[in-house]
Amino acid sequence: MLGSIYAMVAVALTLSIGVLRFLNFSIPGLFMIGGMTAWASLRGGLPWWLAIGAALLAGAFASLVVERFTWRWMRGAQEFVPLVSSMAFLLLFEHLAVICWGSELRTLPPLFANADWRIAGLVISVPQLVGLVASIALIWALTLGLARTRLGRGLRTIAEDSDTALLLGVEINHIVPVVFLISGLFAALAGVIFALNYRQVQPFMGEMVGLKGISAMIVGGMGSVWGSIAGGLIIGVVEVMSIGYFGADFVDIAVYGLLLLILCVRPTGLFAAAFAGQRA
Amino acid sequence: MSGYLEGVLVLLAVNVVFAYGGFLPLAAGQLNLGLAGFAAIGAYSSAYLSNVFKLPPLIAIAFAGIVAGAVALIVAAPVLRTRGIYLALATFALGQIVQAIILNLEVVGGAAGYPVAAFIRLPAIAATATVVVALVWLLFATRFGIAVTAVHDDETVADLMGIDVRAFQVAAFALGSAIAGVGGGLYAHHFSFIEAQYFNISLSITIVLYVLLGGTQTVFGPLLGAAVFTLLPEVLRASANWRYVAFAAALIVLMALRPEGLVTGAQLRRLLGLARAQPRHAEVAAALPKEPSG
Amino acid sequence: MSATHPILRLESVSKHFGGLRVVEDLNLAVRRGVRTALIGPNGAGKTTVFNLITGVFPVDAGRILLDGVDITATSSHLRIGHGIARSFQNIRLMPHLSTLENVMVGQHCRNRGVRGVLQPVNLVPRNRWREAARAALVDAGLIEYERSTVGNLPYGVQKRIELVRALMAQPRLLLLDEPAAGLNPAETEALQAQLEKICIGGLTVLVVEHDMHFVGALCEDVIVLDFGRKIAEGSPEDIRRNPLVQEIYLGAPVAQPMERHSACSA
Repeated sequence: MLGSIYAMVAVALTLSIGVLRFLNFSIPGLFMIGGMTAWASLRGGLPWWLAIGAALLAGAFASLVVERFTWRWMRGAQEFVPLVSSMAFLLLFEHLAVICWGSELRTLPPLFANADWRIAGLVISVPQLVGLVASIALIWALTLGLARTRLGRGLRTIAEDSDTALLLGVEINHIVPVVFLISGLFAALAGVIFALNYRQVQPFMGEMVGLKGISAMIVGGMGSVWGSIAGGLIIGVVEVMSIGYFGADFVDIAVYGLLLLILCVRPTGLFAAAFAGQRA
Repeated sequence: MSGYLEGVLVLLAVNVVFAYGGFLPLAAGQLNLGLAGFAAIGAYSSAYLSNVFKLPPLIAIAFAGIVAGAVALIVAAPVLRTRGIYLALATFALGQIVQAIILNLEVVGGAAGYPVAAFIRLPAIAATATVVVALVWLLFATRFGIAVTAVHDDETVADLMGIDVRAFQVAAFALGSAIAGVGGGLYAHHFSFIEAQYFNISLSITIVLYVLLGGTQTVFGPLLGAAVFTLLPEVLRASANWRYVAFAAALIVLMALRPEGLVTGAQLRRLLGLARAQPRHAEVAAALPKEPSG
Repeated sequence: MSATHPILRLESVSKHFGGLRVVEDLNLAVRRGVRTALIGPNGAGKTTVFNLITGVFPVDAGRILLDGVDITATSSHLRIGHGIARSFQNIRLMPHLSTLENVMVGQHCRNRGVRGVLQPVNLVPRNRWREAARAALVDAGLIEYERSTVGNLPYGVQKRIELVRALMAQPRLLLLDEPAAGLNPAETEALQAQLEKICIGGLTVLVVEHDMHFVGALCEDVIVLDFGRKIAEGSPEDIRRNPLVQEIYLGAPVAQPMERHSACSA
């Protein structure tokens, strides 16, 4: 389950890397905004579907703010500048959340009274199942969209070469916000799914998941959507296996060790990039 | 001196040392997001040396720098094979691994943290910070500074000019890590208690932000960046969270308006009156659209 | 070694990029103390030849000999120490260094090792390396730009700074990649004068250039490349009369795509 959340965060990251070659460190913050807004709206008495809508809206809006101040202003600046600004946005979002909602761990009410199905001895939690299905469906829709639509073609042109794209009449300033919008939505939705499943949120919840999401993206291959998903699942499996074999304390060593190993040996990731990825 | 003022100045000194640890690799074009890991290595090794072997704190801290630098030298071979964003991510993974290993090292307390018996006060810390800053300044007044900047600006040409690009990258990485280790040692011996959780990615990011904010082109940048962002919030007397918000917001605005940081080389030369009146052609050049650098 | 012994010799050098044969079985010799031009249409492989000589790329086949010493396997950052310095087609100065510091980069190959690297060039006001770099700027008439940020300087000035930087390595062989491109006639003349001055000391120059007047005025030998092969060599007069070269440059008898030639008249 955690694997599919990592995968969604990784997809959000990989869109930005693949198309814009921009490692967007604010995505863990957007994840948190999704989760926290869902909690805050539920506490405020909104029905669950409105709460989810509000969370997605907040994530998308925040992502557009990030676009405005990182990528658009600083195109052509030094390589690290947008990265640094996006880190600053992560700090900004986290501490604004602390100011608004405090830093304690908040608990969400269970959404459905009896949310478990029992089928032949297996206990399946409905929110988990819905989350899993929703994330797979969305990612599938995204890859279809990238392959088939006019927008997808525009994105792939920018991924190849943004200057050429400009010459070909692709309107970068219209398309790039869409990239941020989609990745913001994915991050926020991952946050919502996380919140509904684990029923706990706090302002720094994005860091752990976000860092694992970055790892998933690299393991799978930057810029490749399906690679990110595979990476997310691999990270999830490695976590479970290292808990099983070495104990819970070694999870991070195993995950980040794998990440470091892959970066040094095969920096393009395990799976070749589906589009872009010429940065290697 | 009030305890409050001493606390602020100690924090300033430690942050300045950290900032120079981030400056060296950045000057060579490397974004090191594993600085907190090297600071942790320095903090824990110096604490261990002074707790177990009863070394005087300052000597233990010097050894901390050597240990952190040595670890950096060892990992430099695989890690510096990567470049750009991959290097940033590899160092990030490295920092996480160091943190996770320390969390599992029972000999230094593991997740429970590690108390440090010896204690040093502001004068010793300030003196150490001054020495570190002076050494970096001296180093950058030598050919080393020119070579590192050349590697940062254009690796291919630097190589063809006879600069061993790889050696300078490794040197900048290892020296920066050693300085971060010294910073960690200072921190450990003043705050008397260290825990691995403190040396997380946020610390690495904050250090890098100090440097980028001050500017990576001159040795004055990190000093200014660390000073502004340690002292400004104290002056404003804001709550901890508003400080972070203000820090982040200021950073976003600064990066947008002055992507090369607060102090740049050209500006510094002008400021110190070293540059002659700009040559007559400069007016023409200034009228042309400026090429983005890097 | 006699004066006619070539300072640089390429023996059967080949370089392919993917399936593209950029340099093919190239043999050439540059005579000591002689100013040699390497000309040819766009895409003939001239800059690639420079990149092979300086070690930016390894050769696929063949040998490169400098003064009889095989430097084919010498890594690129050591070749300048053997006496090969170069300039670049597009100016490649370090944007974050001042003019003087850029020039001092050229001295690096003479300052290897820990002691050389720790030379306090920006600390001691009368450091001898710093003084040497300043003297070179004075010689070149560029001292007024000493502390300027190079990015703001006019194109012609930047080209001359690049030349001074290359000379600081005290090379035996100087490779110039289109030194006159983008210069106005006055600047070209100044450059030509500067080059003639530095060649008095017996420096060997190999220059890639499109401007045939410049080549005719400066160079004694001309080597013509096309499709990575040498098709002619000789004095500028010989080359001008060579029918094969006329064909390539004027394009008339042989059907060749015109755009390959258009830049040559510039």
